Amino acid sequence: MPKNWPCKQIGAFVCSLAVFALAQVAPPLIAQTATEVVRGTVSDENGKTVANVTVTATRTDSGQKQTANTGSEGTYKLDLPPGNYRLTFEAAGFKTFEISSATVGGTESEVFDGKLQRSEPADATPARTQEENLPNAPSSSATAPSLSDLGLSPEQTQGNAREQALLDKRTHMLKIHQRMGLITTIPLLATVILGPGAGGKSEGTATRDLHVALGSLTGDLYGITAYYAIRAPRIPGTKKRGPIKFHEAMAWIHGPGMILTPILGAMAFSQKNNGEKVHGIAQAHGPVAIVTAGAFGAALLSVSVKF
Amino acid sequence: MNKKILIVFLFVTLPMFAADSQWVLKQSTLTYHVSHKLHESEGVSHAARGKGVCHDGQCEFLIAVAVKSFDSGDSNRDLHMVQVTRGAEFPIVTVRTRLPESASSSATINADLEIQFAGQTAQYKKVPFKVETQGADTHITGTIPATLTDFKVDPPSLLTMPVKNEIPVRVDLTWHQQ
Repeated sequence: MPKNWPCKQIGAFVCSLAVFALAQVAPPLIAQTATEVVRGTVSDENGKTVANVTVTATRTDSGQKQTANTGSEGTYKLDLPPGNYRLTFEAAGFKTFEISSATVGGTESEVFDGKLQRSEPADATPARTQEENLPNAPSSSATAPSLSDLGLSPEQTQGNAREQALLDKRTHMLKIHQRMGLITTIPLLATVILGPGAGGKSEGTATRDLHVALGSLTGDLYGITAYYAIRAPRIPGTKKRGPIKFHEAMAWIHGPGMILTPILGAMAFSQKNNGEKVHGIAQAHGPVAIVTAGAFGAALLSVSVKF
Repeated sequence: MNKKILIVFLFVTLPMFAADSQWVLKQSTLTYHVSHKLHESEGVSHAARGKGVCHDGQCEFLIAVAVKSFDSGDSNRDLHMVQVTRGAEFPIVTVRTRLPESASSSATINADLEIQFAGQTAQYKKVPFKVETQGADTHITGTIPATLTDFKVDPPSLLTMPVKNEIPVRVDLTWHQQ
């Protein structure tokens, strides 16, 4: 340490405190200097500038926000550190305009202009075609191509609310199917694990009763799971491709298996309760249950994990 | 006599309204990428249509593609994608951009894109694209940094786990100048 180092005079503790305080203050000061001027002009669909528009810059990684208002000439200015921002332009009587991704570099000033559209009256009839919905169609320029220039017919661009409702219903039902399938896995596994104990040489019936109870619960949950898959609406003109084909093929194994397993189980249960050794077709209860559980697991994995 | 005047008038005035040049989308591959904790999947479409009209050194481009045309190799996933993005209600994705006519001679371009998808409009500023020109064909490649929140799309979930918000779209287009 140099002879005339100030810490010598003021004491090591006070000096450390001062260095610590400086370390806390200095980075924000440095950061403040590394900002960039972002400016722009906000106009309406007729090109007329709009005053009193709130411009909000939200940093996409941290969510930090900074706002500015446009002046009488429709211009705004923000000082932003370099990064990626989402810019929103909001004003009374106008639809909110958004620039989803605006990169502020750090070397030169950036210009991001806003283009606002007047809000439609509340009783306005919603537009039917996507072409009509486009804010930039009919185009602001005589040279801009339109969807019809691309050879797209109104039928191709027109929305189909009925089909959307059908898709929504299908997704809703398949989401329940998926959740119920996951829930079913728990008692299914427990039933399979308890299986050897239930069919063993032990005279006690506790494990067997629990096995039966869990098996019944599995059957009930499986029934609900299957219902939501079977009743989910089919979308006309859809050709099945990919893992869903295997998923559905597995249902042809675990579906009958889920019916056969409890029947064979009831026979085995009855034989056991009569003090007999499980015999005849009831002996197939275990293997059928294992194949059923295996097919169920394979069906679940086929749509969950990419092989 | 009047007919002759009319014909002469049309010959003189029509070129004034005609575009300087046009671009037509010859080939296209658009690929969206979805990330999930258990899955990485991609949906590909080769069905985009596009046109560019140039006037006074500025070209206006429009690219449109049907939402249903994206194929991820799994019909169930594709139907789910169409549902969450409201693809039946808003069947077409459109991308609009304006570029200077000279852009085709650059090695890279930074395009401001306006994308309409799922009933929402999102703006992407200065999206970089690589440009390669061979004769009358110009090959453009790049990635649009799209996210689900840009279009107010609820993230689809698998086994109750939602997919990541980022859905970058790789763009590979071959334009032909006419």
